[in-house]
Amino acid sequence: MADITDFASKFHFTQEMIEGPIYRKYEKAMRKIWTVDEFDFSGDAADWQTIDEQQRSGLLGVTSRFLAGEQAVTDELIPMLAASHALRRFDWIMFLSTFLLEEAKHAEFFMHWHKQVVGILEPEEIASHWLDRTQTIDPSGRFVVRDVLHEALPRYGGELMEAIRGGDEADIERGFVRFSACYNAFAEGVLTMPSYEIVIDTCDGWGKFEALKRGFRMILMDEGRHITFGTEACRILIAKDPSYEALVHEVFDEYRGNLVGLVEYQKAVPGLDLGKYQTMKVRHYRNRCREMRITPDETLIEQILDPTIDFVVGVEAG
Amino acid sequence: MAVRWSCVEVDCDWAVTAPDAETIVPLVQAHITEAHDSFELEDMIEAVLEEAPDA
Repeated sequence: MADITDFASKFHFTQEMIEGPIYRKYEKAMRKIWTVDEFDFSGDAADWQTIDEQQRSGLLGVTSRFLAGEQAVTDELIPMLAASHALRRFDWIMFLSTFLLEEAKHAEFFMHWHKQVVGILEPEEIASHWLDRTQTIDPSGRFVVRDVLHEALPRYGGELMEAIRGGDEADIERGFVRFSACYNAFAEGVLTMPSYEIVIDTCDGWGKFEALKRGFRMILMDEGRHITFGTEACRILIAKDPSYEALVHEVFDEYRGNLVGLVEYQKAVPGLDLGKYQTMKVRHYRNRCREMRITPDETLIEQILDPTIDFVVGVEAG
Repeated sequence: MAVRWSCVEVDCDWAVTAPDAETIVPLVQAHITEAHDSFELEDMIEAVLEEAPDA
């Protein structure tokens, strides 16, 4: 039971916290708030009428993945908030309050875009454009491509919540590093980065969808804070206990298949230079490692750059 | 103390030093756009800055 006569324990701000990098991210997030109401989708709706079925299918393959993804990362953030509370990191909680708001807003952006531009909203309507992950195959059989957001995040989040309930600080820290490595470093920080660029390059190449492109740029600014919050939090915990570095590599290794090739929705838009996105993925992986002050896995880099590792998409069973 | 940023794109050894983070961010972003037809976010640049001796 809490000691209610410990008056100082009721106050969480410290000078060190206010001068620290996470509190500065909170301040920046508050300065950079934007709303979906600022967007006029009428130009994109007109553009939608001018593209052919293959272009529509390719673009929807990516945007519907973002709509689902933004809802997933909104839904799955609670364990990180709970862990920050358990670790008595009030600056992390403050920043995560902006993080959660922004992920919900990103989902709202994609909801409005699909409703106002494409004319679809209900889950069944949007699901009909979903590109099936189970039909993405590595012909060599070496790698399995999984669904990180809908498999790994709930699992690592559940394990982190178990650690919080157990109350052991080191267990909570290990759970936090695994969860953040998966959420911020792997999914947001490496896997998804080519997808942003694919959409922006598509809009530029077609000379269309200015609102979608602007939305992606605004979302990216938010994601830059989210990703570097996670890698900074991991850096702090790894500096406290260097054995945690191995946990980051274990997470990346478990979902290696998703990184070494491009998956179905990243190959859906016709006419893009796909090699560029593999190269940039290496830069993002190296930078996430640099941010966490850990050593990159060179075999993973070699595999990302290996042109012989190329997934086949749209494979039908039977 | 100045700040330094080095590029980790494949086969790129470009680096830049500037008096502070505010100055270096647009220099890095221009390099990534011109040399790699890509983007680098402000927070990601700031997260990997190293201290460098003043010129």
